[in-house]
Amino acid sequence: MSEIISNLGLGLSVALSLQNLALCFIGCMIGTLIGVLPGVGPIATIAILLPITFGVDPTGALIMLAGIYYGAQYGGSTTAILVNIPGEATSVVTVLDGHQMARQGRAGVALGVAALGSFFAGCVATVLIAALGVPLTKLALVFGPAEYFSLMVMGLIFAVVLARGSILKAITMILLGILLSTVGTDLETGQERMTFGFPPLSDGLDFAVLAMGVFGIAEILRNLEHTETRDVVQATIGRLLPNMAEMKQSAWPIVRGTALGSILGILPGNGAVLGPFASYTVEKKLAKDPSRFGRGAIEGVAGPESANNAGAQTSFIPLLTLGIPPNAVMALMVGAMTIHGIVPGPQVMTRNPNLFWGMIASMWIGNLMLLVINLPLIGLWVKLLQVPYRLMFPSILIFCCIGIYSINSLPSDVIFIAAFGVIGLAFIKFGFEPAPMLLGFVLGKLMEENLRRALIISRGDPWVFLTRQIDAVIFGQPVGIPLSGILLAIAAGLLIIALLPSIRKGRDEVFVE
Amino acid sequence: MPTDVDAGATAPKRGPIRGPQNVVSGVALIALSVFAVYLVSDLPQGTLRAMGPAMLPRWLAIGVGFCGAFLLVIGLVRDGDGLEKWTFRGPVFVALGIIAFGLTIRQFGLVIAGPLALVIGGFASDETRPRELVIFAIVVTAFCIGLFRYALNQPMPILIVPGTSIHI
Amino acid sequence: MRKTLFAAAAALVLAASGAAQAETWPARPITMIVPFAAGGPTDIVARIVGEHMSRTLGQQIVVENVAGAGGTTGITRAKQASPDGYTIAMGHMGTHGAAPALYPNLRYDPAKDFEPIGMAAGTPILIVTKKDFPANNLKEFIDYVKANGPKLNEAHAGVGSVSHTTCTLLQSIIGAKFTRVAYRGTGPALNDLVGGQVDFGCDQIVNLVPQIQSKNIKAIAIATPERSPSLPDVPTAKEGGLPEYEVSAWNAVFAPKGTPKEITQKLVDALDKALSDDGTRKRLLELGGVIPEGAARGPQALQKLVESEVARWTPVLKAAGVTAQ
Repeated sequence: MSEIISNLGLGLSVALSLQNLALCFIGCMIGTLIGVLPGVGPIATIAILLPITFGVDPTGALIMLAGIYYGAQYGGSTTAILVNIPGEATSVVTVLDGHQMARQGRAGVALGVAALGSFFAGCVATVLIAALGVPLTKLALVFGPAEYFSLMVMGLIFAVVLARGSILKAITMILLGILLSTVGTDLETGQERMTFGFPPLSDGLDFAVLAMGVFGIAEILRNLEHTETRDVVQATIGRLLPNMAEMKQSAWPIVRGTALGSILGILPGNGAVLGPFASYTVEKKLAKDPSRFGRGAIEGVAGPESANNAGAQTSFIPLLTLGIPPNAVMALMVGAMTIHGIVPGPQVMTRNPNLFWGMIASMWIGNLMLLVINLPLIGLWVKLLQVPYRLMFPSILIFCCIGIYSINSLPSDVIFIAAFGVIGLAFIKFGFEPAPMLLGFVLGKLMEENLRRALIISRGDPWVFLTRQIDAVIFGQPVGIPLSGILLAIAAGLLIIALLPSIRKGRDEVFVE
Repeated sequence: MPTDVDAGATAPKRGPIRGPQNVVSGVALIALSVFAVYLVSDLPQGTLRAMGPAMLPRWLAIGVGFCGAFLLVIGLVRDGDGLEKWTFRGPVFVALGIIAFGLTIRQFGLVIAGPLALVIGGFASDETRPRELVIFAIVVTAFCIGLFRYALNQPMPILIVPGTSIHI
Repeated sequence: MRKTLFAAAAALVLAASGAAQAETWPARPITMIVPFAAGGPTDIVARIVGEHMSRTLGQQIVVENVAGAGGTTGITRAKQASPDGYTIAMGHMGTHGAAPALYPNLRYDPAKDFEPIGMAAGTPILIVTKKDFPANNLKEFIDYVKANGPKLNEAHAGVGSVSHTTCTLLQSIIGAKFTRVAYRGTGPALNDLVGGQVDFGCDQIVNLVPQIQSKNIKAIAIATPERSPSLPDVPTAKEGGLPEYEVSAWNAVFAPKGTPKEITQKLVDALDKALSDDGTRKRLLELGGVIPEGAARGPQALQKLVESEVARWTPVLKAAGVTAQ
């Protein structure tokens, strides 16, 4: 215990130097401002801002990069709530209730609870990293392809629970999402699937393109049609911060979200993306009135946002302790570190304690700074919402175009968002929800890869998903835990729980909203 | 997203199609499913033990097709929502604006692509005031150029005049 | 109002064209296309080298990541760029060596469509295994693989990646078939190797050094003629008895064909200066990179290398039946 405190103390002394404080602040600030731009998610933001860090010493550069990373997350949440555009997979859930709250004139409250929840999650996650970093890494290594597959299946069941309306339509969208994720070059054999021989499709569809089209552009198209509802929303600007009652409502969701996000964030292979979805599912199931979800329930923002931020922080653990990046953003950070002469790995903790603990301490400081930066900004964003829509939506449009173009400099990406925008509008008009499709898209890829990988490694034995055992030691006794089997059982249980109310209410309600 | 309840949604329908939305979406999904199955038909499916590239897409497409069939049946058997009206101004102009951007950004640069997207897209709203829109377009484009090209150093073409050596 | 706008636009264009006439190269930032995602080994080398070249040339070198199709998307775009010296590209062993064999519809010819500028740092390939793999040197490794081939799992980062191509070569040299497991990138592959889910792999040194040094994975051999200073205990493939397995993921700078000689010469000099600079060398060597010396990294040597690599990889990959359509 005292070691942790002394380490944190060392870290704080590094992080609180004037230079590092300034770098942290600058990183957070520009990270937020760039992350807010629709179409520019955390990966794009870090890639864009990376060269700025070149002139600085490694520790300072990393602190700045971490600040940019969190800032981008906060900025992304802001865009999700205000403009209905999820910058990356983890923001999809925020869009569901967050944007609804914004449409009801409660944008300030949504942003505020997101900021506060994220700050709490960040603090807890920082302590977790400091205390449990190394043991938690072992957890990450224990997951093999079979366990990942089962985790993804569980995640897809979450998507069914997510659905507000007809379960049949939700399942359709999930299947459609997974189908879309298979477009591209097959990983195992190198063969192209459903690409029409069109080179930009040979690496599959980009999440940003799909999300931007189906959420952002479709939302613009919908607003253009329903001018009445839109104007009312823009006229009423409510409070800028959540009040005591709302905070009370959000308290437990924040705690639960933090717990879920922290654990899932450690899992390599993008386990962090499950955090917000799991949190939303849990909150919806625990709420006294689940029908509020999808219509502006504050728990639907508080929980997932906390899970989001907790996952964002704990995903640094495999990176800092093992040197293995758990997702694409962290891979970028690895590259950034390497450019600065630090090759992340197990020895960074021992060889470079100043760097390691300084970074962890600055994570906490960064979270504090972001709270300080973002709360006043809420007023600014809310004012921005009052720009007349006939001028606002073209601006959103151009930012989307530029943002998407800046990812890969491919004009075809830009044209795709137009296509998906129209398709997204069709979805809305026919009563289909895009969120399950996006979740299916993200998880589908991971699920298929791990399914086939597990089958290859087990040489075709399908029972491996139920029988594979993880070696663990409980109370001094070596024990084999069928982790994959347990996860699948949970998934099955969740599915039954999800369908039960509908089955009880009568089969009618399942299919017709 | 709150679905709009059309006035005729709950009124009993005449004729075989009682839930038009469900019927149309069901048919569309079945068509999509057939198309997808066709697209992967020349790829090896493999076996359950050694899955090929076509296995998952094929079965997913079949699953989508089944869902579509369900919806179709429900649309014929139960009352459902009617088809919503589509306005064309919105989607057409927004799509054209985005496509204009995509087509011109690499050939002519942001100075052309930006205002094109903003102005064409802007006409999607029936509240547009053309003069105001054009000025706004120029201002926003200038801001974007300043932000992305100069502040953030993104390799984005600003102005290309083909035939001359202007390539900013 | 409209007339004023038009006049203003026309004036702007005229002014810009006037300015453009009077330029000497480089008069504006140069784009270096890196055909992979930001943060990977090639991207890192490109940024380090590009930073120094910017200082020599007096204009920023801006890295543009155009990832896709094993790097071929970015290189195709570089080929189509106008040969005015403002677009260059960082290619590597995959894009300019193995690509013609892997991609039947490849839309560029590595040897004919580019002006070679020079080599940058190459990253040696290592054969690594999981922690408790029953072999401690190359000979034992080869014997074990020959005896247990199909039971073993090899991790690679997808068809078309460096790890896949180099292990294909290993497979054809050893003559034993093992089971190949694909991952989406070297990160997840390395993760499962450390976790013991797979048995071995062939990968670039950059990602592997920390894992080897902390004994999370075992290094069996390095595929270069000499041992690497970052890993002095790892024997070379030659020492282990397999001298044919000599591979390095070399990286090199190219310009589109037709770029004027004065411009390419300036680029060649700037690259050479960057690779001679102590600071840049230090950063590249710390990564485990190998920097060719003197004439061996110049444009003529590069052209020869491209031609020989294409000739080398084509039969190997065709024999293994590997293509990415």
